[in-house]
Amino acid sequence: MPGLSFENYQRNQHLATSGFAVPKTTSTGTTIVGCKFDGGVVIAADTRATAGDIVADKNCEKLHCISSNIWCAGAGTAADTEMVTQIISSNIELHSLSTGRQPRVVTCLTMLKQHLFKYQGHIGAYLIVAGVDPTGPQLMSIHAHGSTDIGYYLSLGSGSMAAMAVLESKWKREMNKEEAMALCTEAIESGIWNDLGSGSNVDMCVMEVGKDSVLHRNYRTPNVRAQKERSYKFARGTTGILGQTVRNLVDVVEVPIANEEMEVDS
Amino acid sequence: MSLQEALPDSALHSTASSVPIEHRFNPYSDNGGTILGIAGKDFAVLAGDTRNTTGYSINSRYEPKVFHVGDNVVVSANGFAADGNVLVKRLGQQIQWYHYNHNKELKLSSCARLVQHMLYGKRFFPYYVHTILAGLDEDGKGAIYSFDPVGSYEREQCRAGGAAASLIMPFLDNQVNFKNQMDPATNGTEPHPITYLSLEEVLQLVKDAFSSATERHIQVGDGLEILIVTKDGVRTEYSPLKRD
Amino acid sequence: MNGISVDVNHLKKGEVNLGTSIMACKFDGGVILGADSRTTTGSFIANRVTDKLTQVHEKIWCCRSGSAADTQAVADIVHYHLQAYSAQNDRDPSAKVAASLFQELCYSNKDSLSAGIIVAGFDEMTGGEVYSIPLGGSLHKQEYAIAGSGSTYIYGFCNTHFKSNMSEDEVIQFVKTALAEAIKWDGSSGGVIRMVVLTKEGPRRLIFYPDEYEKICN
Repeated sequence: MPGLSFENYQRNQHLATSGFAVPKTTSTGTTIVGCKFDGGVVIAADTRATAGDIVADKNCEKLHCISSNIWCAGAGTAADTEMVTQIISSNIELHSLSTGRQPRVVTCLTMLKQHLFKYQGHIGAYLIVAGVDPTGPQLMSIHAHGSTDIGYYLSLGSGSMAAMAVLESKWKREMNKEEAMALCTEAIESGIWNDLGSGSNVDMCVMEVGKDSVLHRNYRTPNVRAQKERSYKFARGTTGILGQTVRNLVDVVEVPIANEEMEVDS
Repeated sequence: MSLQEALPDSALHSTASSVPIEHRFNPYSDNGGTILGIAGKDFAVLAGDTRNTTGYSINSRYEPKVFHVGDNVVVSANGFAADGNVLVKRLGQQIQWYHYNHNKELKLSSCARLVQHMLYGKRFFPYYVHTILAGLDEDGKGAIYSFDPVGSYEREQCRAGGAAASLIMPFLDNQVNFKNQMDPATNGTEPHPITYLSLEEVLQLVKDAFSSATERHIQVGDGLEILIVTKDGVRTEYSPLKRD
Repeated sequence: MNGISVDVNHLKKGEVNLGTSIMACKFDGGVILGADSRTTTGSFIANRVTDKLTQVHEKIWCCRSGSAADTQAVADIVHYHLQAYSAQNDRDPSAKVAASLFQELCYSNKDSLSAGIIVAGFDEMTGGEVYSIPLGGSLHKQEYAIAGSGSTYIYGFCNTHFKSNMSEDEVIQFVKTALAEAIKWDGSSGGVIRMVVLTKEGPRRLIFYPDEYEKICN
């Protein structure tokens, strides 16, 4: 068989069927979206990370920087989206150094899809890649198996249905930056409220032709923690003291100084 | 949708390389949510969040699951909502029949024994629920009874059930039964004395337990409904929870 | 390995699928390719405006069906080889060369691919050629080819309505009607109808929206 070997994966699958516990990976059961506008592109994400039914991180970062002009929103296995993005980021930097050109989104897309295809879906990264390059604003998506799509507006993750519902009903051609940002915010919030895998805040990144990309970390925070009814400070003395030992770290030895007997050369 | 749900877990998660797909009807599903009961000196509370879910979807943001079934008894059966509703409904009917047949109130301890029989009656096709019963005992003291899906039960001071039970229960052990706490007055030499909490304190604990569970469990949220049982009857309090 | 047998000739879990209606057809003066635009993951439409007609050389295109990832990867590799071919030989590759490359890849990796591909190309020597490469990796030269889940509904239609040496207008109408029927009956196909006409003038793209094509088949 050509290509990579997946026999350890098959062994683990076999182990799992015979009752061996499989470790839980942190999954970004996520809502991510992207939308083009006149003169740029915007991507956005929620900030909840889950491990099964438990919220693992209430304010995680799902927007990854590939290069100064290309950003990427990730859904799927948190570690995979993070690592795959870092690998491609450094390869893109080397590529642009050796060619002496600004990196392009299609280059990223090709590198990512070839990397992911090689791993046959075992790297669980679902990405929306966006940026501005010499060919203009670009917006694309990649699935874990290595397939890619292009669109004016895209959504991915467990909340993609909720987000796409908003995008399909409110998207229009020829939007300005503010309209695109508002649309993406609404799409992500739709995921936050209606999808259990998504929650907390909205992160956003705006990439405009001829301008630096702007990352709006926690662009919206509609889920601030509620004030508790009681204080749970424990009074001094709540912790039991079972025993006490005091130990000297240094032994102090008294040495009498015999000045008279000492001979000092002078 | 129904086809997807009808598949057993093994079928949904199996890949091409593992076991053959078994197409069998699965009568159970998990509707999430959490319940919590605390007994006080002369009162008992039973609270539940009002979110109802399947998978990553919210079915309802307000679907009460704690009910007054008569005779100052409140009950909640959390887990598979369809079974829970049926159990509560049948318990209410049984209490009605008890009135018709005996013309007197059903004691809480008797009600608990009745619930045990109802659950064990379906020993080989169980109600997929964690049941909690709350009310006042013969002496007017607050009482909580909690049941496993097939009827094993125990009277307790407090109990959390459902999705976030494992998140709330340690908090309750510490704050209601003062576990792992020494008496500050004795400078940590004597254990904290076991005292009854006031209704006000209990309600604060319940609200904080639920707002914390909402932060960390995806199936908990939307609203909190607390049923309070005193000698004067059953009272309901509602407060909103986070909706994300 | 330890007697653990594996069945990989199957869509992997959560894989993006092109449950598709695609076809290609020769006509007087060239070839035409047509496809619907729906991509699905389970019952969810992941993309409703997909482009399943992929260029691998100026006048050699393919229609992809099966796994989106697999067919894109194969098409990318063929695209690379054909660029190398024309650079090294200083002439355009024939459709047969392209089809053979597709076949080689599909046959030698048949255990790990789910790809059903139609290759169509125009060259001055032959006028136009259509090749079909179904799942196992065999290669069939045809007058016209249909493939994908939606194609099962239009075998009869195509069989009765196909004519050799149709005019361009005729063949467009033929492909449009056939795909409209396939989309109508197949739940995994839908969206717009995309076409590419390959003549000596080069490739020409066409698009037909549901408002229009739905009218021609009821």
